Amino acid sequence: MEAYPVIEFKNISKKFDNFFANDDVSFCIKPNTVHSIIGENGAGKTTLMKILFGIYKPDSGNVLLNGTKVSFKNPLDAIKSGIGMVHQHFELIDDFTALENVILGDEVSNYGFLNLDEARKNLFDLIVKYNLGVRLDKKISQVSISEKQKIEILKLLYRKSDILIFDEPTAVLSPVEVKEFFKIVRKFKDEGKSIILITHKLNEIKELADRVTVLRKGKVVYEVDRNDIDLTVLSKQIVGEIDSDHTVDKRTDSFSERPFLKFENVVYKKDDIELINELNFQVHGGEIYSICGVEGNGQSEIVELIVGIAHKSHGEIFLEYEAISLVPDDRIEKGMIKEFNIGENVILRNGRNFVITSNMIIESSKSIVEKYDIRVPSLTAPLDSLSGGNQQKVIFGREIELDCNTIVFVHPTRGVDINATAYLHKIILQQKNKGKAILIITSDLDEAFYLSDKIGVLYKGRIGNEFKRKDFEEGSIKRHEVLRNIGKAMIGVNIV
Amino acid sequence: MSKNLKANILSISISLIATLFILFIFLFFVGRDPFFVMETMFTEVFGTGYGIGQALFKATPLIIVGCGLAFCFQASLFNIGAEGQLNLGVFGMSIVAYVFDDSLGLLVVPVAIICGFLLSAFWGLIPAYVKIKRGVSEVITTIMLNFISLALINYLLIEFLAVKSTVRTEKILDYVSIPQLSNYFEIFQGSSVNLTFIFAIILALVTHLIFYKTRFGYKLRAVGLNPKASKYLGINSDRMTVISFMIGAGITSLVGLNFVFGYKSYYEYGFSNNIGFTAIAVTLLAKNNPIGIIFTSLLFGVMDYGGLAVNTIVPKEIMLVFQALVILSILSFDRLVKIYYLKES
Amino acid sequence: MIEGILSITFMMQVLRMFTPYYLGASAANFSERGGVINIAIEGFMIISAFSYASITIFTGNPYSGLFGSVAVGILFSLLYSFFTIKLKINQIVIGVGFNLLMAGIAKFLMLMFFQSSSNTPSFTQVPVLPFLSSIPLVGDLTGDSIIIFALILVVLSQILIYKTKFGLRLRSVGENPEAAETLGIKVRIYKMWGTIICGFLASLGGIWLASNQNSFSDGMIAGRGYIAIAAMIIGKWKPVNIFFACLMFAFFESLEIVLQISGSGIPSQLIQMLPYLITILVLIGFVGKTKPPAADGVPY
Repeated sequence: MEAYPVIEFKNISKKFDNFFANDDVSFCIKPNTVHSIIGENGAGKTTLMKILFGIYKPDSGNVLLNGTKVSFKNPLDAIKSGIGMVHQHFELIDDFTALENVILGDEVSNYGFLNLDEARKNLFDLIVKYNLGVRLDKKISQVSISEKQKIEILKLLYRKSDILIFDEPTAVLSPVEVKEFFKIVRKFKDEGKSIILITHKLNEIKELADRVTVLRKGKVVYEVDRNDIDLTVLSKQIVGEIDSDHTVDKRTDSFSERPFLKFENVVYKKDDIELINELNFQVHGGEIYSICGVEGNGQSEIVELIVGIAHKSHGEIFLEYEAISLVPDDRIEKGMIKEFNIGENVILRNGRNFVITSNMIIESSKSIVEKYDIRVPSLTAPLDSLSGGNQQKVIFGREIELDCNTIVFVHPTRGVDINATAYLHKIILQQKNKGKAILIITSDLDEAFYLSDKIGVLYKGRIGNEFKRKDFEEGSIKRHEVLRNIGKAMIGVNIV
Repeated sequence: MSKNLKANILSISISLIATLFILFIFLFFVGRDPFFVMETMFTEVFGTGYGIGQALFKATPLIIVGCGLAFCFQASLFNIGAEGQLNLGVFGMSIVAYVFDDSLGLLVVPVAIICGFLLSAFWGLIPAYVKIKRGVSEVITTIMLNFISLALINYLLIEFLAVKSTVRTEKILDYVSIPQLSNYFEIFQGSSVNLTFIFAIILALVTHLIFYKTRFGYKLRAVGLNPKASKYLGINSDRMTVISFMIGAGITSLVGLNFVFGYKSYYEYGFSNNIGFTAIAVTLLAKNNPIGIIFTSLLFGVMDYGGLAVNTIVPKEIMLVFQALVILSILSFDRLVKIYYLKES
Repeated sequence: MIEGILSITFMMQVLRMFTPYYLGASAANFSERGGVINIAIEGFMIISAFSYASITIFTGNPYSGLFGSVAVGILFSLLYSFFTIKLKINQIVIGVGFNLLMAGIAKFLMLMFFQSSSNTPSFTQVPVLPFLSSIPLVGDLTGDSIIIFALILVVLSQILIYKTKFGLRLRSVGENPEAAETLGIKVRIYKMWGTIICGFLASLGGIWLASNQNSFSDGMIAGRGYIAIAAMIIGKWKPVNIFFACLMFAFFESLEIVLQISGSGIPSQLIQMLPYLITILVLIGFVGKTKPPAADGVPY
């Protein structure tokens, strides 16, 4: 007997300006299954979920919940109908405790006064049932990302959500935490809930999904059930045609004698907390060194120390050359002045002329746009009118043009689509071959494996384990072992 | 004409009309004939050379202080302390000028200006320093410093430096002064408008060049737009804060040219009549653009003198209300035009 | 002079002076807890002091003055929310505009109604709680219901902000409005309530000052609205700490009066400078560790 699909999308279309985020999307989600929606950045997954969740209204088409047409006006409506969503970027209030965050908006109160005891009891039961390990009275600012995610899940359970949507849930988790997450999802399924998993990680699909829908450029291009999943076919469907330019596979092996960047027993304290704890590493010219680790183990602090925003308490930081190029992680917040145009951002950074004329600005814009193939409405358009991928290219271009011998990239391809990612990786390898010392801070192990000569795992402000390219490159026998070891190192297990 | 420029003209026009409308209703409410008031104001201000001169005279300090404030506002530093800063500077300027006018002759003018500038700059250094070292909001510190500086000046005047039974300093020698415009243009006969007006215009043009055509100006604006990114881009935002505050505060002291050297030849407690605050409005309305500041200053100068001109019909304090309404009105319509005409959110 | 400070009269005076500071600081606090910065506390106090004085003079009834003035304050706060919440204009800029507007209106109407640019005629009627004034010692104070209210407000705010549903939601809106929105909280409504409470409390502060002086005069607020904001910052946006910060400012203001009366020879202008100087010094000493509501001042 065919059950009603719990959710059905019927011809959903949504346009933003001239571009179809969702283009006649139709598919069903069966009850009590784990349904995965996959696609690259910009494929339309998040837009579709936002429509389901009541944040956006579709231009045309319908959403059916258990056979009935629904049109949620806001997230609260969706929540009331049993749909809950854990967003990619958590929506938690740092200064509140976990308890306060969970009950907010659905508080139990007597004549306006908060009654926390009842809520506490309910939540405790849920924590035990799903093995969530959430400490209700801790402030969000003091808990790990993994615990934050569990708090978000608790929010949904507290509101009795039967349909749980997860948007890129494992993007910021360590391998061990990812396994925990899988367990939790399986428990949900056992309890009769329906789960929608938005991800681009193929291994998660293999582990969890009962059915997979692939979106590309706003359209549904492929659907497959668990038993018929073939990862190669799946990848092809996700990506369509790859701009596979493997011409820069040749890598230089000669490194400079002296390191261009060296941290020696560096300690950095802030408010009496040791954020960097006897950190040691070095990067030579021609070498790509990647620092991997779970967010919050000192990555931002390392960047701040290199750039000079933060000052070390102990130890030495050696810079063979004073000038450093930096591609920061949050491009809008740290990477550029979005109100200025390309040329203005470039000139501001290259620090040469005192007088700045309009011609200089236009020439500057032009050279970057041409050299790095950037799509712009006009040469003087402010940076905030460009797409994320193009903005990232501008920042890359700006920094590369400085021709510094030491370059630092922080999460360089986060939120960038696959073609642009390949392009940016090509640029990084080109710079390596030119003899520059390159430091990459990333949590994307695929990226680290592809690019690096050496990987250092950062845990609680220190690099305890390093891994060499010959052990993890494509074709090495030890590749899986290294991957496992890196996973362990990320959570503090020391590998001898 | 760019869409942005159209939007700006649209919003300013609508807001002026709306404000006039509100003013009319207000005047009706207090029993005055608004048309008569407007007519009188127009003929008094624009109908005579004296009127125009006075409007320019009132606009001049606004342009100067406005440019000074623009240095701070472009870096997102809310300097509410212009009143205290300029008073301190002008006070110092007059004392120095009086003490050295016979020994230095005309040379005393640049010397006094520099002393006044440094004094005001110092008063701007305090909030800047406190901000970078301790993170204290400059809004509160500058307001507090206003009170402190005025009390200090009052004390120094009354205890030591004022002419007996007045609250002003001694007069500087007559020939150490800036010529009135009426010396060159008969039409301004009787008005106190002087060459400082020309100086103010030049100051605005130079400031405009600095903001938009120099590296310093770009760095300044970058810090104002995104202090975090500026740090990552290698700009020393702490240094920028201190420099822009000191320059901005220092510039405000230059109103002394208009009032002291160009008009009374002494400092009088209370002479500034809150231009430090009016200039805030003038600068913000012009969106920190010095050319725009010239126009908004002229507007406020007209309103200022216009208020005086109709004082017999309706108290000049109505102008304070009018100015505040203009501010709120321009801010609102600017936003409304952005939302509905330029379709931003 | 030391006896002067330790006397009961002095402490009562401190308590009196504390009232407008605490009302102003509380007002600013409720607004900022909702994420809306309001630097126009001074203006609110000016216009409410003036309204109270005029209405009381015209009607002869201080209670009409009280209600009328509070109504004026709330009207202005609705106007303030329109600009800052609905139109999302920069809150500091609007604050500057409002200060100018309110001061201008007060000054202008004072001329129109009373033909004086410096003060209104005095009035003797003030709102009282007659049944309490018979209690010795306290009776002096209870004659002034606003002071009592200010003291109760300390406890009231603490409970309201931390123990009620309203308080939780208000704080969430000031910390992370996006997160609050996802949970169905109507962010703008709560911000508006924060602003209204702010207008209400600030008006009471102005009313008290006019009532205390039995008139309205130009410059009577003397920057207390700004000092109140400093007290809020020093008190780290927490009602009980703000209480202590305001007591401190009240102490120095009362000290100023004692010094002047005792003829200590210290020039009056230097004594007048004290509260402002103290404000800066305390801010320098305290800050570096303050953390306002995370989304404070961010238009949503």
